[in-house]
Amino acid sequence: MIKMQTSKGTIEIELDHDAAPKTAENFEQYAKDGFYNGTLFHRVISGFMIQGGGMESGMSQKPTRDPIDNEANNGLKNDIGTVAMARTGDPHSATAQFFINTANNDFLNFTAPTSQGWGYCVFGKVVGGMDIVNEIKTQPTGSTGGHQDVPIEDILIESVEVVE
Amino acid sequence: MSTLFISDLHLSAEHTDTIELFQEFMSLRACHSSSLYILGDLFEVWVGDDYIDTKLLPVIDALKEYTQLGNRLFIMHGNRDFLMAEQFEVLTGGTILPDPYVITLNGVQTALSHGDMFCTDDVVYQAFKAKVRTPEWQQAFLAQSIEKRREYAAAVRDKSKTHTSTKPHEIMDTNQSSINQLMLDLSVTQLIHGHTHRPNLHQFTLDNRPMSRYVLGDWYNQGSVLECDHNGCTLQTLESGSVLASVQSKVID
Repeated sequence: MIKMQTSKGTIEIELDHDAAPKTAENFEQYAKDGFYNGTLFHRVISGFMIQGGGMESGMSQKPTRDPIDNEANNGLKNDIGTVAMARTGDPHSATAQFFINTANNDFLNFTAPTSQGWGYCVFGKVVGGMDIVNEIKTQPTGSTGGHQDVPIEDILIESVEVVE
Repeated sequence: MSTLFISDLHLSAEHTDTIELFQEFMSLRACHSSSLYILGDLFEVWVGDDYIDTKLLPVIDALKEYTQLGNRLFIMHGNRDFLMAEQFEVLTGGTILPDPYVITLNGVQTALSHGDMFCTDDVVYQAFKAKVRTPEWQQAFLAQSIEKRREYAAAVRDKSKTHTSTKPHEIMDTNQSSINQLMLDLSVTQLIHGHTHRPNLHQFTLDNRPMSRYVLGDWYNQGSVLECDHNGCTLQTLESGSVLASVQSKVID
């Protein structure tokens, strides 16, 4: 299990190593390396999702490892409380940034192995601290340095630990 | 030469009378202006630049003719036609503006907005808006067939009608504190927006400075236009068949 300590409280996440082995391992490695410590939830949209794990305060992007393959064709759905990988327009471009769905986002699910249809890979779910997620999603946001929906007050990911 | 502002025309293939009124407006009124700003919801629905109903083609032609004469056309997304994009700009010669956008209008710093951002009390709508404006949602939506997109748009419209008919009126109106905040943030003394379909001029004081807020009317039964020149701005109503002899609306607060 993953214990994510944020400035708003603790979120517990269970990774799905069976359905998304490469993605779960990738996340666990970033966590073990301490990569997420000091990153932000930098994109917060209440009826959609909260995204973080790649930007530091001041919206500077942390250098990551190479992108991983998209495992969104694993049958897992982007439903409320699931955790999935963020990426660019290229389906196989996820690195460290992840998001927690705060709505049932069917349009993010895999539909076809094409650039438009790959969807976003779910690799875990929140098993504790959904109240913290709900608090984060309603924080006031603004635009900062070309990014929209950035919380006005930093929402810090203080540490991400792998616990047994 | 004047600057014209219109919004909330909600043009659709089903309402040819409004399309005709718009054509009349473009040929008889807009020709005396040098800039036209359309502040959102020009169309009732826009499922992507790759689908234009043939009945709406005269609208595109009228806009193109306007820009080809050397006039400037600016378009802002509304809550219904936010998928207008680059191809639409190419077809009309217009420029899509971000919302909000600040211009200097006859020496007055003026913010332009569609206006839906001020309806902050309607949290259901704001959550929906936030989602559909994301690149993830738009990419997934535009990847679907035109038929599927039209079906979805029709379903959203039906749902929106149910939602708005059961909502108290105050929720759907603008929130004054969010208006004040935006005007202070952008350092403007004038704001022009649409969306609420309640044409009016609101004058108030903020930080000891006089502020003006013009609300444009919708085009369901008649047209509405704000005309600005060096003498100031007037909010006018356009009756079909008498666009030239337009009636100046009574402005109250």
